[in-house]
Amino acid sequence: MKRLALLTLAIALAACSSGPRSTSLLEQTRTDYRAAQNDPAVAKYAPLEMKQAGEAMAQADAASNRSDNADKIDKLAYLAKQQIALTQEAAKQKAAEADVASSAKTRDQMRLAQRTNEADKAKADSQQAVQIAQAAVDEAALARRRTDEAQRANRESQARAAQLEAQLAELSAKKTERGIVITLGDVLFAVDVARLNPDGMRTAQKLADVLQQNPTRTVLIEGYTDSTGTAPHNQELSERRAGAVRSALQTMGVASGRVTARGYGQSNPVASNDSPQNRQLNRRVEILLSDDSGRISQR
Amino acid sequence: MTHYPRPCVAALLVAGALLTTGCSSMKTPATASVAVSNAAVDNAAGAGGAEFAPVEMSTARSKMALANKAMAAKDYKLANDLAMQAQADAKLAQGKADSARAKTAADALQDDIRVLREELARTSK
Repeated sequence: MKRLALLTLAIALAACSSGPRSTSLLEQTRTDYRAAQNDPAVAKYAPLEMKQAGEAMAQADAASNRSDNADKIDKLAYLAKQQIALTQEAAKQKAAEADVASSAKTRDQMRLAQRTNEADKAKADSQQAVQIAQAAVDEAALARRRTDEAQRANRESQARAAQLEAQLAELSAKKTERGIVITLGDVLFAVDVARLNPDGMRTAQKLADVLQQNPTRTVLIEGYTDSTGTAPHNQELSERRAGAVRSALQTMGVASGRVTARGYGQSNPVASNDSPQNRQLNRRVEILLSDDSGRISQR
Repeated sequence: MTHYPRPCVAALLVAGALLTTGCSSMKTPATASVAVSNAAVDNAAGAGGAEFAPVEMSTARSKMALANKAMAAKDYKLANDLAMQAQADAKLAQGKADSARAKTAADALQDDIRVLREELARTSK
């Protein structure tokens, strides 16, 4: 009995002398609390919640220091633990809200940049469209001008051709297989001499006009006689008559390079030499007009 | 062993008296804290606590039910303890719901920004 009483006393003393009581929940809560204390987001965004958590923690610590029973400590520790968790959530919420605020600003700046970009692009596109349209207009104008020029050139060349045809008709030109041939008859020369009479000069003038209006064409002047007289005489006469036409043309301003003169004497008659009329036909100067590029088929 | 020393009996009597007064004075605060906690649970539910913090929300509800039961049984001490815990759970549930919503909004904005950045990079080429 005495020993039992002593034992009871010892147990009671042991209970009194034991230090602060702790529980695993309290330890866990203290760990959470330290983590929250070290969290800069908590310090920045949830100071009020942290203060309340600190008070709850202090109550649980006080119960521990008083060596209250584990149930009581756990109740307080639980409240503190939930408050600490709430503090963390509040800090996360405020951080996210701050993030929203700054992101909204960034987004607005980017939207502005995007719109500026689109506007610039639209402007560039429209400028390009204007340039393309202008280029099309320019091209169309150029094409029209070229067409006009071509038509004018065509009209001019047709007019020139018509004029040439009229002039050649006036010169009694004939189209032969060697080309256009103008025949100056014997009547245009004084008898047996190589000088053109006034009618001959007028004909030569018409020919000079044709040559001046058609600067790419050249002429070959061929002199012929009838078979009366000696061949050397006839050859010389034919050459002089051809030469007379050439000098007349040169006097009228046709460049010497465009005029070639030859005598063929009594050869290549156009009629038999058996009558005065036929012999007169054979006494002639034939002028071959070249084509536009200056070519003449030589005899 | 059958009879305790005199001081012990006195202490027991004092303790008994304290407990009795404690219980009688507990009646009003327990009613108040149960009401406050009920409101906290309702608020948390309204804020989407069930969606964003299902564990805390169901803990809060079951503790609240137990607190109400304890109130009916006139165990005001237990009712108060449970109500306090339910309140802490409900507040945490609400805090989680609020922070989750804020995070969703922040993430959506980040997404917007990412899309815009890509768009910008594409169009400024």
